[in-house]
Amino acid sequence: MKARLDLLPFAFLLPSIALIGLVIAWPLLTGIDYSLHAGTMLRQGRFVGLDNYTALMGDEDFWHALRFSVVFAVANVVGAYLLGLGIALLMNADIPGRGFFRVAFLLPWIIPSIVSVVSWRWLVADANAPVNLLLKLMGANPIYFLSSDAWAQVVVFAVKIWRSFPFMMLSLLAGLQGIDRTLYEATAIDGASRWQSFLYVTMPQLRNVSIVLCILMTIWTINDFETPFLITGGGPSYATENLILMAFRYVFVRNQVGIGSAVSFVTFIILTGLALVLLRRQRES
Amino acid sequence: MAIDIGLVARRGLIACALASMLAAAPARAQTVLNFWDMVWGPPEYSETAKKLVDRYNAENPKIQVKYRAVPWANWYQTYVTAIGAGTAPDLSTGAGYQPVQLYDQGAIHPIDDLVAELKASGELDDFLPGTVERLKYDGHYVSLPWAVDIRVWLYRKDLLAAAKIAPPTNWAELRAAAKALTAGDKYGVAASGDTGGSHYLYSLMVNNGGGLFDAKRTLTVQAPRNLEALEFLAGIVKDGSVSPASAGYDSAGRRRAFMLGQAAFILDGPGLPDSGTPEAREQIGVLPPLSGMHGDKGTVAWTNSIMVYEQTRHYAETKDFLKWWSRNQKPLWTEGHAGPMPARMSFHKDPYFKDSALRSFIVENYLPLGKTTGANAPGIFAALNALEGDGVMQSLTQEILQGKDVGPGLAKAEGKLKTIVQ
Repeated sequence: MKARLDLLPFAFLLPSIALIGLVIAWPLLTGIDYSLHAGTMLRQGRFVGLDNYTALMGDEDFWHALRFSVVFAVANVVGAYLLGLGIALLMNADIPGRGFFRVAFLLPWIIPSIVSVVSWRWLVADANAPVNLLLKLMGANPIYFLSSDAWAQVVVFAVKIWRSFPFMMLSLLAGLQGIDRTLYEATAIDGASRWQSFLYVTMPQLRNVSIVLCILMTIWTINDFETPFLITGGGPSYATENLILMAFRYVFVRNQVGIGSAVSFVTFIILTGLALVLLRRQRES
Repeated sequence: MAIDIGLVARRGLIACALASMLAAAPARAQTVLNFWDMVWGPPEYSETAKKLVDRYNAENPKIQVKYRAVPWANWYQTYVTAIGAGTAPDLSTGAGYQPVQLYDQGAIHPIDDLVAELKASGELDDFLPGTVERLKYDGHYVSLPWAVDIRVWLYRKDLLAAAKIAPPTNWAELRAAAKALTAGDKYGVAASGDTGGSHYLYSLMVNNGGGLFDAKRTLTVQAPRNLEALEFLAGIVKDGSVSPASAGYDSAGRRRAFMLGQAAFILDGPGLPDSGTPEAREQIGVLPPLSGMHGDKGTVAWTNSIMVYEQTRHYAETKDFLKWWSRNQKPLWTEGHAGPMPARMSFHKDPYFKDSALRSFIVENYLPLGKTTGANAPGIFAALNALEGDGVMQSLTQEILQGKDVGPGLAKAEGKLKTIVQ
């Protein structure tokens, strides 16, 4: 009787373990297995050991995609955080139409990505696109945003920041509303300026939520497929190809599932590292 | 007399079940075939194809063909995942090199017997020369041609007439005309940085007597004729005659610019004018096949075909439908305005082709010149699909359209293409 009671908690865990095994462990192990073989999606080839990883390390496209993924993540985290924080501070103040603006600023997050990203592409497509017409009105020459490596990267960063800041704003606003008002009153009595209150009360109080948000946003940006894919397809000249797009290209276009899976596994290791930092951070806080 | 209601109900149920089983018997005898067809033209294309399938179903009550239009976006994933999941169609149309690539992976059923039947009946002679043999791979016919997708130079009659420029007949004239027609926000040429843009490179290489491969299927990307062809395009870019938006355009953007009269020349399929308004259509002409630097003529073309999948459980019926479809598909052009040109020469005699100056010109002057992206290698092979889709040539196109030097880009492209072809 005692033994049956001891097994009961494990029995309750079984459905979850089975589900996790099915949707996480099995695809992960299959992916690792693919990365150690040659072949295509329909016909797995011979075992090649770490050859796919060796080939990857010697591929300049991989290093470029890794670099772009890191820059993309940093640009988005910094941009979305600063924009999100700025708007959260405004939304936390007693301004007219606050309810309306709170909903309005959430729109970029709510609109389906295919709609918003394709609309952005239309906005900057060529000399007659709305952004260039605006530049023309201001007396400036048109910018061919999608034809230049640097401008294409800027557009990808801008669209990603635009799509990401509402989440930052919402979370930071929740953080701001959780700060004890008496702390501000105490600093006011001590004669602190608004900037000093922000620096020595607001920011330390937002520290934990900010770290978690930044790590989450880094993971989501490195994992982002649709933003660069829908705006530039990774071009021009691979300028906006991140690791996820590269894995997609190898698996579905080149039909080299082994190398594509190796790219995915390397990405997985990077993201797991970030997730571990996140978990540690949560435990500490 | 007492009636057992329960017994009556049970017997009634059994009778109903038997009746429904008998009624279902003919339905079970009906063979269901799944036919997946790419979207080969404007919206009316798929509608016409559906009507054609309905006609076949009405004429052949024992076979029920289910039609599915497959969009081009992510087409390869669509087929590969279906095959991997065991839900491949019985037959499909597809990209030019799809049959050989999927055959290599054990997914395509050869149609040697069907080709033998068509040959015996003389029907094979109706196909454009070389199109059937081009689809012979590894000793087997892996699919049946239905169309030839070819790239031709189209021009805006209104822009050339306004500038009093005659349609160019060779590269030098094209470059000069493009330069003369560039002014303000109008450009000589509109190109794009996507797959459609890479067709400019393939077409110019073939036009100049070059090609990506030699007869032994060895890569010859950096061959002098190829370099010349790409330098020619780079020259037009450096003249400022190519729309600066080109590297970032997709094919839709490139076509929009041309249809709106923002560019005078475009390399595209014969079906492009059909996508415009009647007024815009009137303004579009086709250039004669241009002479390259050494007088060569040619352009890139793909033989589009219909393939049968290994997963079919009804090969005989699939073959029957394929034969019928091949013979009766003319409405795909006459009503559906399919983009590529028919592989069957008898269709070219229809007024839809004969009475159209543009189409008849393409049939007579361009079709005989078409070569695959595998030029100058014989036939087609699996690597061509990956080579076209991978992005190496697209990236090279983008670099050229950005005004970068051809030499280093071409050398880099060859290195990457080698890893794909291997």
